[in-house]
Amino acid sequence: MDENEAFEYAKHTLREEKVTPFSPHELEVVKSVESCINCGLCINNCPVVAAVGVDRFSGPRSIAVELSRSPPEFWSTADTVYLCTGCGTCQEVCPKNVNIPDVVIMVRTRIFEYRQDLVPKGFNIVREVLTEHRLAFEPWEDKEEKNESRDMRLERLGLPFVEDRVIDDAEVLFYPGCQAEERAQEVREAAKVILDYFDVNYTLLDEMSCCGLPARLIGDYETDQKLTSSLKKKVQELGVKMIVTTCAGCTSSLSDITQRDEWGVPAFHILEFLVEQIGLERFGSAMKQVSEFSDVHVSVHDPCHLIRHTSRQISDYALEILRLIPGVKVSVSEAYDSCCGGGGMVSYHSPDVSNAVVKENLEAIRKTHAERLVTPCPLCTAQIESNLFKSGSSVEVDDLTVFIAQRLPKKV
Amino acid sequence: MALSCDLLILGGGMAGLVAGSVAAESGISTLLIRKGESATAYSSGAIDIIGYLPEAGEPFDSPKEGLAAIAGLYPLHPYSILGYNENVTPDNVVGVIVERVRETVAWLKKNLKNTVAPLYGDFKRNIFPITILGTTKPTCLIQKTMYSTSLQKEEESVLLFAGFKGNVDFNPAVAAKTYLEDRISIGEPPRKVGHCTLQVAPFGKSYNVSSIELARHLDHESSVDELVKQLKPHVEQLGATHVALPPVLGVKHALSNKKDIQEKLGAEVFELLGFPPSVPGLRLQLALDEVYRKKGGRMLIGHEALSYTRTEKLVTNVLARTNRREVNIETKAVILSTGKYIGGGLSGDENGIRETIFGLMTVTDAYQSAGGIVPSHYTNRFALSPEGHPINSCGLTLDPHFRPVDEDGVEWASNLFAAGSILAGYDYSIEKSGLGIAAMSGFSAAQNAIDFIKEVS
Repeated sequence: MDENEAFEYAKHTLREEKVTPFSPHELEVVKSVESCINCGLCINNCPVVAAVGVDRFSGPRSIAVELSRSPPEFWSTADTVYLCTGCGTCQEVCPKNVNIPDVVIMVRTRIFEYRQDLVPKGFNIVREVLTEHRLAFEPWEDKEEKNESRDMRLERLGLPFVEDRVIDDAEVLFYPGCQAEERAQEVREAAKVILDYFDVNYTLLDEMSCCGLPARLIGDYETDQKLTSSLKKKVQELGVKMIVTTCAGCTSSLSDITQRDEWGVPAFHILEFLVEQIGLERFGSAMKQVSEFSDVHVSVHDPCHLIRHTSRQISDYALEILRLIPGVKVSVSEAYDSCCGGGGMVSYHSPDVSNAVVKENLEAIRKTHAERLVTPCPLCTAQIESNLFKSGSSVEVDDLTVFIAQRLPKKV
Repeated sequence: MALSCDLLILGGGMAGLVAGSVAAESGISTLLIRKGESATAYSSGAIDIIGYLPEAGEPFDSPKEGLAAIAGLYPLHPYSILGYNENVTPDNVVGVIVERVRETVAWLKKNLKNTVAPLYGDFKRNIFPITILGTTKPTCLIQKTMYSTSLQKEEESVLLFAGFKGNVDFNPAVAAKTYLEDRISIGEPPRKVGHCTLQVAPFGKSYNVSSIELARHLDHESSVDELVKQLKPHVEQLGATHVALPPVLGVKHALSNKKDIQEKLGAEVFELLGFPPSVPGLRLQLALDEVYRKKGGRMLIGHEALSYTRTEKLVTNVLARTNRREVNIETKAVILSTGKYIGGGLSGDENGIRETIFGLMTVTDAYQSAGGIVPSHYTNRFALSPEGHPINSCGLTLDPHFRPVDEDGVEWASNLFAAGSILAGYDYSIEKSGLGIAAMSGFSAAQNAIDFIKEVS
C-alpha cells in the first residue's frame, strides 16, 4: 500500500467513526489555533457577543479553542457555531492572527457531514436552490417579469440601460453575484453602466452561477466543490484576465477559491478595479463633467467581506472615489465597520440575532444626520435598508456601485 | 495594491500610536499597519513609568526618583538611551531623561483629555490605585474613572467594594479582606471596608455576565439608575464614603457615568484595576487610535508586514499582506513597534529568539546575543517570580537615535527606528514600566524619524 492508498484506507475507517481528517488548508487553520494565548480580546470585540451576550453566543475564543478539537465538541456546540456572522473581527483583533472564521466553517462542515439533525432547518431551502439552480436565490420563473422589475429599478434610479454583453474575447469577466443577479438587479445594471462608460472589454457569464460561499457557510462541502469547479471551468474557458464583482462576499470568496484551486485568474471588487485599473485621474475627470446632481450627505458602511476578509485599503478606495464625486459630503458613522448582521447565513435560522447585531449600526447612522447610506455590497444594502425602514428611519440606502453609476455623465 | 508614505509604522500599540501621532502632528505623511490589537488593548490601562527597581521591595515615590536610579544603575536600560545622544553632557544625563519622560507624560495627558480615556496623575509622584484583588500597585497615570484622591487620605473614609452577580472576574469579598488587611498593617485609612454584590443582567440573566457586557450595558442611557438604586441601601448601611467597582463603567461613557452615579449616590465612585483583557485597556486603545487618526495619520488594520527591501542601508519598501491581498508600501523611514512575544515582534523557538520582520540582532538582559537562547531555558521556575523572567528582558538594542544595531554596534539601517516592548534591557512586569517605556520610546523614535525624514527631503 502506498501513502495515498493508506490515507484513503484510513479515511474510510475514520468515516465510520465520524471523523474526517483535516485537509491541508484546515490543518493550517487548526495550527493557527495553537497560537491562541487565551487573552479574550476577540470576545470583547465580537459584534454578536455585543448584541446578544456571551450566554447566547459564547464568542470566538470558545469556538476556536474548544471547538477545533474533536467530534463530541462539534456536536455539542451546534447552537453556537451557527450564530457566527462570519464578520472576521475576531481574526482582525487577534494578536496571534488565529483564523477563527475558517474554524467556524470547518466545524460547520463536520456537523453537516455527520449530524444533519443539528444543521438548522432554515438552510434546507437555500441548499435546494443551490443544487437545483446553482444560485443562492430562487431565479425568476418568468424572464419577462424579471426584465420588468429591472426596468422599473432603472427608471426609479435614473440609470440608463446597457445591453448584456456575453462575448468570447473579453479581458474582464463581470460577475454580479447571486444577489445582484436575481434580486438587486440595479447593482448588476449599474456595474455595466460603469464598465461601458470606461470602455472596458468585459463579458458576463452566459448563465450566472454561484461562487459557493453560501454552501461553504452551511458546511455543505460537496455542493461547494460542485459550484466552484463548474465556475472555474466556465471562467477558464472564457480566457479572461480578471474577474470583477460588485459583491463583497463574492470578492473574498472568489479571491479565496481562485487561489486555492489555482484558477490563474484574480478576482477584484469593482472599487479596486476603478482605482487600480481605470485610475482615479480618469475617474475624476469623468466626474468633472457632471452637474445635474444636487448635493448629498452620505455615510459609508464598510462590508466585512471587503475590509476584514479582503483588505481595509478598499475602504479608503471608496472614500477616495466619493471625494471625486461633486457635491458629496461624507460623515463617518461610529459603527462604519461594524457587522450588519447579514452574514454567516445567520438570518436564515436566527433572524433575531442578525437583527440584534445591526442595531448598533442603525443608531450610529442616525447620529451622523446623513440622508443616505452607501455601501459597496448588495447584501449589506438589503440588510441595513430593511432594518432602517423597520425602525422608522428616513435614511435611504444605496449600493455604492449604483450611487457611482447614477452620477457618471451620460456616455456620448 | 501599492501605497506610499514618508513614515511607516509597524505595530499599533502604545509605542506605535504615540510615534505615529507625534509624526502626523508635525506634518509627516504617516501610515500605520497592524495585524491585530496590541498588548496595550488588554493591559489594565494604567500607564506605569517606573514602579520598582529590579530586585527592590519598595516602590519609588516618584517617576523622577526611579529614572535617576535607572540612569545610574542600568546604563543600557531603554530609559538610559536618552542620555547617549551626542548633545548630552555627562552631568546632564538624568536631567535629559527626566525631561523627555516628563514631556511624554504631558503629551499623553493633553492628547487623551477629550477621549474615552482621559488621564489622572502627573509626573511629580507615583500613585497607588487598587486592583480587583484588593492590592495596590504603583503607577504614574491612570484613567480618571479609576482613582480616588481622597480615599487613602481622609481619616473617616469608608470603602464599599461592589461586584456583580454572575461576573466571575471580580470577587468583592476577597478584595475587601485583602485591602483591609493591607491598610491595617500600614495603619492608614480607610479603616472600614465592606462589600456587596449587585444584580445587573444586560441580557436578562444574572449568570455568565462578562465585564465587556456590563460596560456596554452601562453605556446605554439611564442604565446607571438601576445600579444606583441597588447600591444606595448598601452605601447607607455601611456608611460608605467611597465605592469601588470592577472596571466596567462603560466603553464610551465611563467618566460621565462615574459622575452621574456619584451625584445620585452621594459617594465617590471609582473603578479597580482589572485583569487582561480589561475594559480600560480597550478604552486606552480606542483613545490612542482616535488621537492618531485626528492628527491625520492613516491606519491599515489587519495587515501584517511580510518582507522588505533594503538598499544601501535604507529600507525602501515593505510588503504587507492580509489573508487575500498584498500591499507594497514605499516609505522614507520605518518605526518598528511590533511588540514582544504577545504582539509578535519577537518570537522564540528551539533555534533561539528572533526579531520577526527584519531578522535584527536580539540580545539578552546581559546584552549578549539572544540568537541562540532557547526560551524554555531562559525563564524562572515560578510563573509569578518576584525576579521576573530573563526572557522578558530580551529584545533589540538601539543606538542613541533609537535605531536597532547589528553585531558591530552599528545601525542596521539608517532609516529604521524601534520603540516599545521590542526593546531589550527591562522586564516591565517587575519594574512596572511597560506603557511608560512604550510611550517614551515611541515619542523619541518619532522625533528621530522626523529629523531623518526632514534631512533627506
